[in-house]
Amino acid sequence: MVMFSFAVIATLAISLSIGGIPLSPIVQSVLFWIIMFFCGMSGLAHVFVREEEQDTSLFLRIHSQPETVYLSKVIFNILVFFLLQMAITPLYIFLLQVEIRMISAFIMIVIAGGLSISTTVTILAAIIAKAGGKSSLFTVISFPLVLPILWIAISATRATLEVRGRFELNNLYFLLAFSGVMIALSYILFEYIWLDE
Amino acid sequence: MHQTFTIEAENIAKRYNRQTLFQNLDFSIETGRSLAITGPNGSGKTTLLEIIATLRRPSAGSVRYLVNGIEIEKREILNLVGFQSPRSNPYSELSGLENIQFIGSDVDDTVIDDLLYRFGLYEHRNKQVKFYSSGMKQRLKLLLTILFRPPIIILDEPGMNLDSAGRSILFSYLESIRESRIILIATNEVSEADWCTVRINLE
Repeated sequence: MVMFSFAVIATLAISLSIGGIPLSPIVQSVLFWIIMFFCGMSGLAHVFVREEEQDTSLFLRIHSQPETVYLSKVIFNILVFFLLQMAITPLYIFLLQVEIRMISAFIMIVIAGGLSISTTVTILAAIIAKAGGKSSLFTVISFPLVLPILWIAISATRATLEVRGRFELNNLYFLLAFSGVMIALSYILFEYIWLDE
Repeated sequence: MHQTFTIEAENIAKRYNRQTLFQNLDFSIETGRSLAITGPNGSGKTTLLEIIATLRRPSAGSVRYLVNGIEIEKREILNLVGFQSPRSNPYSELSGLENIQFIGSDVDDTVIDDLLYRFGLYEHRNKQVKFYSSGMKQRLKLLLTILFRPPIIILDEPGMNLDSAGRSILFSYLESIRESRIILIATNEVSEADWCTVRINLE
């Protein structure tokens, strides 16, 4: 709910601020992924942070294998973020008068970028869930991981919006590979993060 | 086939920064025996239980689980252990029954109903846990601990928030199964410590 509210409010605020003047493709791409990024950061971390806040994480540790917990949390986050993107992307396109030149490529990049953000934020949330000062720590440790995702996603999205944009499949492959590596490493390492020191 | 379980702890220590909670702890306990862990507040009773249950890493030493003398993998240990702790809480937005079904989807309904009756929670099974009293929550936590009839039962302050009826239910159940289980209890209650066959006191 928080994620969706943020996305809607941000999109509406931008739309009202520009007053119907179409933005350039690069600005549209940047704003889109900044909204997606902050939605992910604000909402997806709750899957682990709430467990700690409500003192149910030990209950979960006792009754479930770490791998089961990780897979269920990451699948949940991927699905929630996908649903968010499905709801917000059309709204963003409509309100900001976005003209998509390569629709298939645009959709693929949105999905791949969303996959990368949700898988990355999930494991980062597991790491910071037990820490104090969660917000600042989350920002610091997410920066090196999320930056390449945003950079590639913005660049690829821009190419799908420009009149003579050159969409490179390598960007899509990068995002998918990034997600795959993130899931694989997280699956292997999650047990050590999950266990109390 | 009857299986004999053994827990062997060797040279267990736990340190946080420069503070040593406990060290040089050794014990061995097998099926049919019960261990009481006593000590003042902050002595590390809960930490020791969590180390034994492989929910926390020791600073030194090791805990081995054996079945009929053969060591089992760490990954299999949680399947054998029922663990109850004040730090472990069921989901308050779910009902008692939903919490049971969440972790025990394979457990027969008749077994669940029997345990709900035994622990005096049958009438409250569809109520959200957030509306349970502290005693009812404790009963639910104990029920969840024994739901799968684990061969090893670890209880951290099991009598906390329980009235005399609740304690009676708990210990009559434990008495009925003590010959076929390893039972570890961390407690400050003398009666609970005396119920066990072996005692470790943490200073």
